[in-house]
Amino acid sequence: MSVELLLVSVLYGLTLASTLILIASGLSLIFGIVGVVNFAHGSFCMLGAYVGYSVVAATGSFWLALLIAPIAVVLVAVVIERLGLRPLYRLGHLYQLFLTFALSLVFSNLVLWIWGGDNLSIPKPSYLSGFVMISDIAYPKFRLFVLLFSGALALALWLVVARTTWGAVLRAGLHDIELVEAFGIDTDRLVMTVFALAAALAAVAGVVVGAMRNVNPEMDLDLINSALLVVVIGGLGSFRGAVAGSLVLGFADAFGAQIWPGLAKFTPWIVMVAVLLWRPEGLVRDV
Amino acid sequence: MSLTRLSGIAVVALLVLLPLGAGRLYSDYYVALGIRVLVFALFLMGFDLLAGYAGLISFGHAMFFGTGAYAAALMLKYATTSVWVVLAASVVVNVVVGAIVGYFAIRAREIYFVFLTFAFAQFFYNFVNTWEFVGAANGLPGIPKATLGAGISLGDRATLYYFTLAVAVAGYAIARCLVRSSYGRVLVGIRENEERARFLGYDATRCLRRAFVISGVYAGVAGSLLAIDQSFVAPTLYYWSISGEVLLMELLGGMGTLAGPVAGAAFVIVLGDTLSSLMAERWLLVMGLIYAACVLFSPTGFAGLVRRLRTSRDPAPAPGAP
Repeated sequence: MSVELLLVSVLYGLTLASTLILIASGLSLIFGIVGVVNFAHGSFCMLGAYVGYSVVAATGSFWLALLIAPIAVVLVAVVIERLGLRPLYRLGHLYQLFLTFALSLVFSNLVLWIWGGDNLSIPKPSYLSGFVMISDIAYPKFRLFVLLFSGALALALWLVVARTTWGAVLRAGLHDIELVEAFGIDTDRLVMTVFALAAALAAVAGVVVGAMRNVNPEMDLDLINSALLVVVIGGLGSFRGAVAGSLVLGFADAFGAQIWPGLAKFTPWIVMVAVLLWRPEGLVRDV
Repeated sequence: MSLTRLSGIAVVALLVLLPLGAGRLYSDYYVALGIRVLVFALFLMGFDLLAGYAGLISFGHAMFFGTGAYAAALMLKYATTSVWVVLAASVVVNVVVGAIVGYFAIRAREIYFVFLTFAFAQFFYNFVNTWEFVGAANGLPGIPKATLGAGISLGDRATLYYFTLAVAVAGYAIARCLVRSSYGRVLVGIRENEERARFLGYDATRCLRRAFVISGVYAGVAGSLLAIDQSFVAPTLYYWSISGEVLLMELLGGMGTLAGPVAGAAFVIVLGDTLSSLMAERWLLVMGLIYAACVLFSPTGFAGLVRRLRTSRDPAPAPGAP
């Protein structure tokens, strides 16, 4: 493997990882705070991508899409949390998983109904399309943008979680939400904020991934599958686990395609099995 | 004779009569629908053993269903048309799959187990979806009809229906015996308190792995029967929506009651069929809304509803039920 190829693989791995962090960290935080596995998280990404597509189609502005898509998806997510999940918190994981599973079925069919089943692509701004040359390898400019944009968002998220007062409350909530409530903090609002934040990140990731690849009614499943692999590898209910899992999966994908092209589709599972054998609870165990 | 047993016999009697009216009172289509109901009923018996009794919720049982279907398809196409050999092969393959996946998945519990089974099922889906030998995404058409031996072909819908019914009844009897046996009680014990079961000297991991394999065999045989009926297999048999649908049937029927999930299977299949004929492509959307409504308004399912109406005589209450 030449130095250029190595560099490109590292870049691509980081790009994948940065988008995965946006999706998986939300999934993980929701689980950590209320014990809900949000199977509809992939649907949030997909909805974001479709709303983004429509916004770009109507206004021609990619940046506006990145703003409106999360707002729309947050509204949907908050309604789901308030009306759907809240009555189910006292029941087991299974019931919430099941509700979100049902909702993801609804969303993928709703999307199919509104936008049709074809592959759509979100037009990119002209200054972000084209390639940059890394020595003699052409690398898509948009992927570099995705890396910088998602990386910056992930960094901002980390700063909020690790450095702010709200982040401290959140981390306390991940450990023991009842104790946080006992300290007089409105945990209903905390849970809803986490849900909204996670949905917003998922929607942004959806727009970005949709512009990088395609937008279609099956993308929700691809994304939730990757996100679940990330949290299984990294450890559920922790932000650092989501980051670690995303990096592992991103690099596995990028390098797997180079080293072992025939098995490229299966590298995520091979990595998962290897990690599970080594550490059944995932790489990171604390919040 | 207890009321439960009487109603069981009545259901089987009604099922035996179903093909007799086909072509006269209603179209043959209902026999085909009956086969699908029986296939999923069989699937759910094994699934309830794992999810309801042992308390391990799998979100990837489509992997067994699909593997059973593909195993049957390949056997029929390349080896033999004898349904006995085909089903035996399906059992062997699914025991192997169950043992391998179970070895990894049963390291985890609860929600991790859900994820792992889901991830493994997606692995199988991707694998079959790209495997050229079995037609990749297009699937494998033109599977020959199976034979029962003694010159009886299962190509005839009604014959296949009775065969499937016989398998389902036998499967139910075996599952009943299993949950009443000491093994079944150990599974419930593990579900209620795994640590205590271990402390009493039971090898919980081995018991759970065995339950995983048994439930996989049920799902696999169900898949094989579906493949025999449809003469066609496609990667959609491995799709996650099947795993989810099975979970819905389980929840709707009431976990850990065996008969409940079987009723749940019948309900979901018939409802899905009615909806799809009423509203063409929109039906999955409505189905999703119905799923959501079910879990919001009746989390304990049919069995919970029945239990509320009369005191239950069946032990093994649903885990996590309020």
